[in-house]
Amino acid sequence: MVEYDPALIGRVFEETEPQPVTAEDISRFCESIGDTNPLFVDAAAASAGPYGGIVAPPSFAVSFRNGRHFFTFVPRFGSTGFDAGKDVEFVAPIRPGDEIRLASHVKEIYEKTGRSGSMVFVIIRSTLRNQKDEVVAHIDHRFMSKA
Amino acid sequence: MADSQASDFENLQIGDPLGPEHRFVGKQHTKLFCAAAHMEAGRFTDDETARSQGLPAAILPGNMSLSLLTKLLTDWIGDSNARIVRLGTTYRSPVITEHTLTLQGFVTHTNSEERTAETDLWIENEDGDRLVIGTATVHFPARD
Repeated sequence: MVEYDPALIGRVFEETEPQPVTAEDISRFCESIGDTNPLFVDAAAASAGPYGGIVAPPSFAVSFRNGRHFFTFVPRFGSTGFDAGKDVEFVAPIRPGDEIRLASHVKEIYEKTGRSGSMVFVIIRSTLRNQKDEVVAHIDHRFMSKA
Repeated sequence: MADSQASDFENLQIGDPLGPEHRFVGKQHTKLFCAAAHMEAGRFTDDETARSQGLPAAILPGNMSLSLLTKLLTDWIGDSNARIVRLGTTYRSPVITEHTLTLQGFVTHTNSEERTAETDLWIENEDGDRLVIGTATVHFPARD
């Protein structure tokens, strides 16, 4: 069984400063993935759309960086580890003019045994809030280490 | 845009396809993504750096794979006013740059009370290996 301090679970270890969002940031992100959806890049078309203006593509949420303490506080259970996946809940659109901050905590730690041996998964949940303190997304980062 | 688009919720069928979308992803693309997503480029744009970290060559950031699958979904949603509620991805194998990737998926379940569709999604290489797999929930608003 993997051993860790249970006090780790749920404790917010990181909260970033507000990160402003501009239409140019959104446009640059769209360009990087070849996204020409008018809801994201065309102000006139977007104003007639369901959000009344430009919004960011949903995956823009993963472009916000955690702060310098992020990897300091992610527990490590082996010499090698990697990003095994993400689960993202998209709660509200991100718009130009928003200021987004992240708060992160260890959500869960568990062990699995597969063909290649024992693996430990650490789930870090980052919650993104805008300047109105509205949640815009929850991102669960799934890190895997070989025990 | 993807080859397929979601129709109205009432016309969705289990098995309806998303994509396929074929796209070449080179280091020029990962470089753009890293800049846009405020990521250090390193192993995502340089083969030597990637090899020094035990990887076969420069790879796509996981967040880029997630973003490409999200785009597959928003292309499929089109102008139906549906929205992605959640997306989960699992990175099974590194996605190596300088290859043509295929992104696709299909509808696995619909819930008429909640007006949601569940989808399976994946990214595969030229050999048909599924490198990234995912599931997503899409909500279709009721029509006025």
